[in-house]
Amino acid sequence: MSCMIRPIKKTMTLMLLLCLTSIFLTGCWDRTEVNDLALILAAGIDKGKNKNIELSAQIYIPGGSQGGQQSGMSSGSSSGQSFVRSAEGETIADAMARLQEELTREVFWGQNEVLIIGEKLAKAGISDEIDFWMRHSEPRIRADVFVSKGRSKSVLGAKPELERDAAKQLRKIVKTHIGVKVTVKDLSQMLAGESAPAVLPWVEKLPPSLMDKKKEIPIINGAAIFKEGKMVGRLDDKETRGILWPRNEIKSGMITIAIDDENGYISLKLLRSHTELIPSIKNGQWSMHIKTNADLEVVQNTTKLNLFNSKVIKRSKQKVADEIEQRERLAFSEVQEKLNSDIFGFANEFQSKYPQIWKQKKDEWNEIFPQVAVSFETKVKIKRTGLATGKRQRGVEQ
Amino acid sequence: MKFSGIWKKKKDHFQNIQLNESLDTLPKIPLHTELNQNIEVLKSAYKDCSDVVFREFSIGGSINAVLLYIDGLSNTEEVDQHVLKPLIQMKNHEHGAIFEKTKKEISVSDIKDIYSINDIFKQISIGNSIILIENETNGISIGLPKWEKRSIMEPDAESVIRGPREGFIETLRVNTSLLRRKIRHPLLRMKQMDIGRYTETQVIVAYIEGIADSTLVDEVTSRLKRIKIDGILESGYIEELIVDHPFSPFSQVLTTERPDVASACLLEGRVVILIDGTPITLIAPCTFASLMQAPEDYYNPFYISTLIRWLRYIFFFIALLAPSAYVAILTFHQEMLPTTLLLTIAQSREQIPFPALIEAFIMEITFEALREAGVRLPKQVGAAVSIVGALVIGQAATAAGLVSSPMVMVVAITGVASFLMPRYATGISIRILRFPIMIFSGMLGLLGVMIGITAIVAHMCTLKSFGVPYFNSTAPLKIQNLKDVLIRAPWWAMDTRPEFISKDTSNLRRQSSNLKPGPSKGGGES
Repeated sequence: MSCMIRPIKKTMTLMLLLCLTSIFLTGCWDRTEVNDLALILAAGIDKGKNKNIELSAQIYIPGGSQGGQQSGMSSGSSSGQSFVRSAEGETIADAMARLQEELTREVFWGQNEVLIIGEKLAKAGISDEIDFWMRHSEPRIRADVFVSKGRSKSVLGAKPELERDAAKQLRKIVKTHIGVKVTVKDLSQMLAGESAPAVLPWVEKLPPSLMDKKKEIPIINGAAIFKEGKMVGRLDDKETRGILWPRNEIKSGMITIAIDDENGYISLKLLRSHTELIPSIKNGQWSMHIKTNADLEVVQNTTKLNLFNSKVIKRSKQKVADEIEQRERLAFSEVQEKLNSDIFGFANEFQSKYPQIWKQKKDEWNEIFPQVAVSFETKVKIKRTGLATGKRQRGVEQ
Repeated sequence: MKFSGIWKKKKDHFQNIQLNESLDTLPKIPLHTELNQNIEVLKSAYKDCSDVVFREFSIGGSINAVLLYIDGLSNTEEVDQHVLKPLIQMKNHEHGAIFEKTKKEISVSDIKDIYSINDIFKQISIGNSIILIENETNGISIGLPKWEKRSIMEPDAESVIRGPREGFIETLRVNTSLLRRKIRHPLLRMKQMDIGRYTETQVIVAYIEGIADSTLVDEVTSRLKRIKIDGILESGYIEELIVDHPFSPFSQVLTTERPDVASACLLEGRVVILIDGTPITLIAPCTFASLMQAPEDYYNPFYISTLIRWLRYIFFFIALLAPSAYVAILTFHQEMLPTTLLLTIAQSREQIPFPALIEAFIMEITFEALREAGVRLPKQVGAAVSIVGALVIGQAATAAGLVSSPMVMVVAITGVASFLMPRYATGISIRILRFPIMIFSGMLGLLGVMIGITAIVAHMCTLKSFGVPYFNSTAPLKIQNLKDVLIRAPWWAMDTRPEFISKDTSNLRRQSSNLKPGPSKGGGES
């Protein structure tokens, strides 16, 4: 028996060894050390010469503190921890390949969190470019997208005071939800919709401070509005805030109201808000009811009014509701009437509620959208009136 | 030819004793009526044994007798006072009932009759003194052993903050007494057997009849009986000879130095194997869950024990996977790290010439070496090693550009994690398995890590310890048993004993089911 078992055991061991060697043969085919990567922190695309695309990448210099020595190899406007390089190509992929030729390390898109589109390219259309970001497996589809005033390359090279670089700066700003926040995925979804409306945050550079003229900080100032994949106009900061309400994107905000005959103001901080879009089609008249529920708290009161008075509160509520509606109206007048870009997703709402009518009228949406009657209903709750009780001057009386 | 001649001569000289055999298989040699004959046989058997003492004397000045003991194992003072002295001074000269009279004179409680040379070998080796009398075919064994033994101390490897401080020692009888002091019920059985051809090591299988499954006890006994070996010097010998899967890196027998742990296991229906000459006892069966249970779990409040148990499970995975996950993410999945962290790592790795896998290997092997050195070195040198170790593993290796500081961090965490395992044996399994997973992760990334984990889990699922599945109570799932696996249920909720192989569930109840204290239970002030 034992002499029977031994050969079997031997062959088993042999087979096991063969299996093991095959593992080694497969090799570490896609292994890349961090040392061999050119980490792209932010990318910018601009219109190049002759229909070409210019791809600019902000690449991290891992030398870190000794970065000064290596900055010699950086081209463009950068020094210190990262540098910007650009290359031109017929498509982004082509430009990327060209860019790779100039770099000793493998271009790595996995950490690219910011994509900036130059103004000129944005006006020419961005649908083809977004395809690269969605199709290629490496770039993050959760990267934030921006449109820059002028060339994107100049934004990439900016050196903000607080943050590591322009990429971090933009990402942090957009996180505060003061403007719109759009990722590659959101953008491609918006572009896939009817008449391809889209909104992207608009990046401008803050004029250099007196201290250091080199330090220009990219900031978000309003939004760029797209239609059919092309930029058709932009909103200023106030109008952008207006579009956040119906888009249900408003996360924080301060509303200051003045009550009719009183001197001074009441400032309220937005706690939370929820907006609902209710579409309706009656007698061929398309209309949209925008219902907003907002909770606020009072953070400052410079009037002589006592906030414990329910009448005062009622009046304040009305004022706040008016203020919110006014902001929304401002945005609608710009976007709906002038730019005719459905960035609020009205099309989706109508489509889901009236699928039959939508099928027939789909092609006329461009003409219908500016005609949609918009009505507002805003419910405001003042949750807290702040820590100070009563009126400042009368504080002692309680 | 010459050789066989010597052999024959020796054989004659030894008469019919061939001592190069296990004493159990040695044919029984009855005592001869002639004392001199017996002495000659014994002297030839204990030839060149300088520690065996033959003291010839005469009982009452007339009957020849011999006292036989091993110097250093017997309490000679007591023997002199309670055996030798009264026998020499005995005044009765009558013949015939001399054997009974002699026994009466000896004022020692532990006295046994012996009938053969084989008995003498056995008795003398455990420290008893033997008296052989002229014209008697019976001898007397006097149980007055005495040898140097270690005092009972707290075991270093299994120290607790709350709990008994005593630990087993090298002497078997002390160990059984420690168990008996905790479990006083007569159903605590202690079957004894001697294993080892030359060492004749006493091994005791302890279990509580009625709680421990009888098939389990039989299985343990039969596996122990199967052992034919020259010697047993430590429980590790026996462990390797009785486990179900000899090639598995996982320990399939629990070990402990603590009587309280052994008693708790007895009460759960496990079998404890005590071995003379080592403080480490073996406990079977062993499940993965029991490797994660520390003695203190049961002494501290249940919520803290539960949290600490979870911590242990988490750190089990960290100890096993941290370096490989780091290597995998750093060489294959750089996009998985938060950007800022990756940038920091990239910065610290910039000066490192090795791939992450090699870096991890350098650090892990260095750490293992330091750990081994720390165990092996004399205490006086230990301090130096720890200082050098701290420098090597920490500052210097980073400064020298051999490893990056995140890797030092990973190795440190791994090291700490492996010390979190309550059983030393678990730590060993983890240490062994860490390296193959690291190789896998270096080749295939997280896919490799997953292959490694799958292989390990599959292996553990096939493991059995004395017929009990290694993942008992999780796979196959027994919800009732999870109260001592995922959590440590309060004592008033642990009504039933863990279920092992027993089909008979009638005896699983450990305590009455309504023990949760509360005002309605009476007692206290009313």
